[in-house]
Amino acid sequence: MALPVSTPTADPPPGDQRRGARAVLVAPFHQRAGRELVFCLAGLPFVVANPVALFVVALDLSWLASSGGRGNPSPADAVVAAVSVGLLLTVLVSTAGARTLGSLQRGLAARLLGVRVGAPPPVRSRFAGRAWPGPRDGAGWRVIVYLLAKLPASLIELYAAFFWIGGLVNLSYPLLWGAFRNHPPGVRLSPVPVFTPFGLFGEGTFRVATLPGTFAAAAAGAAMLVAAPWVTRAVTSVDAWLIRGLLGPGRLAQRVHDLELSRALAVDNSAALLRRLERNLHDGAQIRLATLAMNLGMARKKLGEGGEVADAAAARELVDAALRGAKDALGELRSLTRGIHPPVLDNGLADALASLAADSAIPVELTVAIPVRPTPAIETIAYFCAAELLANAAKHSFANTIAIGVAGARGVLRLSVADDGTGGADPTRGTGLSGLTQRVAVVDGALTIASPPGGPTKITVELPLRA
Amino acid sequence: MSVRVVIAEDAALFRAGLARLIEDHGHQVCAAVGDGDALLAAVTEHQPDVVVADIRMPPTYTDEGLRAALEIRRQHPRTGVLVLSQYIETRYTARLLAGNAAGAGYLLKERVADVAEFADALQRVAAGGTALDPEVVGQLLRVSRRDGGVAALTPRERHVLALMAEGRSNAGVADALVVTGGTVEKHVASIFDKLGLPPDEADNRRVLAVLRYLSP
Repeated sequence: MALPVSTPTADPPPGDQRRGARAVLVAPFHQRAGRELVFCLAGLPFVVANPVALFVVALDLSWLASSGGRGNPSPADAVVAAVSVGLLLTVLVSTAGARTLGSLQRGLAARLLGVRVGAPPPVRSRFAGRAWPGPRDGAGWRVIVYLLAKLPASLIELYAAFFWIGGLVNLSYPLLWGAFRNHPPGVRLSPVPVFTPFGLFGEGTFRVATLPGTFAAAAAGAAMLVAAPWVTRAVTSVDAWLIRGLLGPGRLAQRVHDLELSRALAVDNSAALLRRLERNLHDGAQIRLATLAMNLGMARKKLGEGGEVADAAAARELVDAALRGAKDALGELRSLTRGIHPPVLDNGLADALASLAADSAIPVELTVAIPVRPTPAIETIAYFCAAELLANAAKHSFANTIAIGVAGARGVLRLSVADDGTGGADPTRGTGLSGLTQRVAVVDGALTIASPPGGPTKITVELPLRA
Repeated sequence: MSVRVVIAEDAALFRAGLARLIEDHGHQVCAAVGDGDALLAAVTEHQPDVVVADIRMPPTYTDEGLRAALEIRRQHPRTGVLVLSQYIETRYTARLLAGNAAGAGYLLKERVADVAEFADALQRVAAGGTALDPEVVGQLLRVSRRDGGVAALTPRERHVLALMAEGRSNAGVADALVVTGGTVEKHVASIFDKLGLPPDEADNRRVLAVLRYLSP
């Protein structure tokens, strides 16, 4: 799940135009350009094994079978071809063949373009012990749609690949001319074709028949080679867009996946919470009360059975210890119950935050504007975020003032905690901020950190008003 | 009889209180430590008569006290082991008593408030007896299978056996039931008979009966 945690990065160094120009010139020699070219060429099989091409082949076969290829294909031939291609595609989808094609294409994109797209949700239905998606597999049909869209895309990709080929051929003419066309003057030589984007195949756009002409061709080739990586990049990014849209998990499946993740987070969170609670009780109030009972037991023994007190001083000391223990246990229980649910939160977030601000060691400036009261769960999360962020600021920021702002608008509750301290808050260090991020993600909220080294720090939590 | 004790408990206040309580009863506290490894080291060093160990201690706060206790029972069979806990876990009891209930005890921490009874239990475990918390016995009773002769016992006999399981002597059982020693002896003989424990194992029969009773 994409948790929008952003940390500000330093501004890029001042733009250097010379560096930009160099990048353009060396682009053809960059590995990435090569991988993109390979990706374009790898699209070739998709031109052949395409539903459209299959339809044409099926139409011709049907036409040959029905009328021996005489005249024109009849509408009946078209129907037969359409039905057989439809059946073939249905079989392809049903047997997970389409998914396999999709995963091959995703693999290519990942290896050659660095575009990593998640797989669609796995096939759950089975037939004869094997995964069997059946004819209603949405992911499979989306692969078919991709194949259809891939036809024009791969034609353009091949066109882009010819930028490279044509460019290289043009560039080689002066050398070829020198090596193989070393004829005595006066001999008339057949011209060579020069390729440009407007005539990439066969006879080329124009032809040259002299050595100086080949230099002009070479110049055109160099220009094409400089342009080629950008052309391949443009087409492959269109293809990558198609792959993301059609071969990925799909919007609904992605949402389900996100919800599964956030549900797991919620379950983990509540389990961790209960574990912490048990631990706090076990190591805190419970052992204090056991000690207290032990002290009282010993004191009673010192007091003796009858009227005569055997060891009054020791008994008093033990009772004192028991009293201290009782007070400590009460204190522990109070802080524990407050940690579970601060009672002041029942009066609303504004009151709760005000009492939080009043307890802070660093002066807090609080601004609250919540026209619509959020649901209790959201109030609780917002409160604990504010408490944790305030505690963080007090511990790490060396700030002089903290500003807490809460505003509710258009269904979103926005809580911000800003301080004028030293900054450098890092969500990867410690568990505090990442824990908050998880907690917020459970209700589809987001936590944004802006804390450059040197400060100031501003952390914004956005929560839906209802959850 | 003064016994030599090693205490293992991670909560400092409770540990100090325990040490004081034990010393008040004229026993000697050889060492008071805060985790399982230190406990094993202290037992090896001091060879105490009995160990009082908290089950849950650092570093994992799960069952290191119990594991240390089992290790002590294996390596130092003459050292009694009395484990304390804030909970009763039947599984823990079964592991502690597995095969041999002699010189083992399992009490809830709050029993310590009953100073005299705790001191009594400590002494019993040190002498090779058992001390099981009434809660432990109650839980085992709920989960234990009703066979091996236990099913044939009358309710009264079962009550007597439960008190025996807590570690009480015949006299202690008689006190608890407000009957004469002779009556208790009669019940005990009948229990041994119904559980098929022959008289020639007299030394062992008490422990065997309890184990039979408690076996889950």
